[in-house]
Amino acid sequence: MQTKQTIAIIGATGNMGSAISKSLAKGNYRLLLKANDKEELQALVQEINNSNSSADVEGIECPRDAGWEADIIIAAVPYEAEKEVAEKIREVANQKIVISIANPLNETYNGLTTDPGMSAAEELQKLLPNSKVVKAFNTTFAAHFATPVIDGQRADAFIAGNDANAVETVSELVSTAGFNPIVAGDLAVSRTLENMQLLLIQLGMKYHYNWLAGWKILHN
Amino acid sequence: MYELFFQKLIEKVNFSDEELNIIKTYLTPKKLRKKQYLLQEGDVCKFIAFVEKGVLRAYTIGEKGAEHIIQFALEGWLISDLYSFLMSEPATYNIDALEDSELVLISKPAHEDLLKKVPKYETYIRLQLTGAYFAMQKRLTSILSLSLEERYINLTNIYPDIIQRVPQHMIASYMGLTPETLSRVRKKITGK
Repeated sequence: MQTKQTIAIIGATGNMGSAISKSLAKGNYRLLLKANDKEELQALVQEINNSNSSADVEGIECPRDAGWEADIIIAAVPYEAEKEVAEKIREVANQKIVISIANPLNETYNGLTTDPGMSAAEELQKLLPNSKVVKAFNTTFAAHFATPVIDGQRADAFIAGNDANAVETVSELVSTAGFNPIVAGDLAVSRTLENMQLLLIQLGMKYHYNWLAGWKILHN
Repeated sequence: MYELFFQKLIEKVNFSDEELNIIKTYLTPKKLRKKQYLLQEGDVCKFIAFVEKGVLRAYTIGEKGAEHIIQFALEGWLISDLYSFLMSEPATYNIDALEDSELVLISKPAHEDLLKKVPKYETYIRLQLTGAYFAMQKRLTSILSLSLEERYINLTNIYPDIIQRVPQHMIASYMGLTPETLSRVRKKITGK
């Protein structure tokens, strides 16, 4: 697509938010970055502009304004913060793609806080009934964005959503970020994806992956 | 966000509150900054855009890079590359904002759902299209049979704000004139 899409990244200075912001700045996108800490946000915008002269990136204070200008909204916030973000953007996110990246882990990382048979993404969809919620970037660690190829393999990144067009658009984002996009199914498959990441996090702690690990499907 | 949109909607067709609420769920609110593109030629046009605030223009680019403005859209007007939108073909128009603007967009899937779910929406679209056709008819007739001065006066009657909000060279482009010719036309009018 030639027309530059505008992407709002809420929570841009977090680990995932900044990783996503830096990698998407390489694509044909206009990024509006929203974070609570103004100084950190300025620093991030500066960093992106310094490393990428063609980046089109701006810090923005109000999440509602960011969402209003955006074509795609990425909620780069923890599960606990998704509800608050949804409240702020609900009106302006009408009919737009909203990406949920959250893994709803409990404090001890030995389980998820969502009910079985539910997912963070589906809860977000309930809060934003007229938006097209897509699960993405929850199976990729922040450190992975800087090196999407580990051990000679480009990591798979799973995507789930109910709207085919939305899922296709998000696949392109995931590609731009450097991963191999795999459409896993409709939004209910987020339950599996969130559980997958719980497993990977637990394995990472057990076997010391240092937060640099990913998924790769072996197939014919 | 949608005040003018609904005002124009109700002016044309007598929607019930329930129907208006259904329509509202299908609208995409979009802010565009000055000079930002809504659509670039070659992409499929995904939206019909209603201008809540601001000014947009649709234009093609000629061989030597000259811009030919097809249409302006001020508050209350719709703008799109309709052929591209309805036929899902690559657009020949570019659409960008001449001022910071607030738009209400209707996507193709939303449009198709609304046609099925709210029969009066089809009436609204019919009235918009016939209105656009009449405007096109008038414009074609005026280009072929009116003097440049008469055409310019007609333009300022249809778009009264246009002189303030749009640079003169763009008005010239819309009329198919060079800026110099338009200057002469305007002098001739004020000279009378």
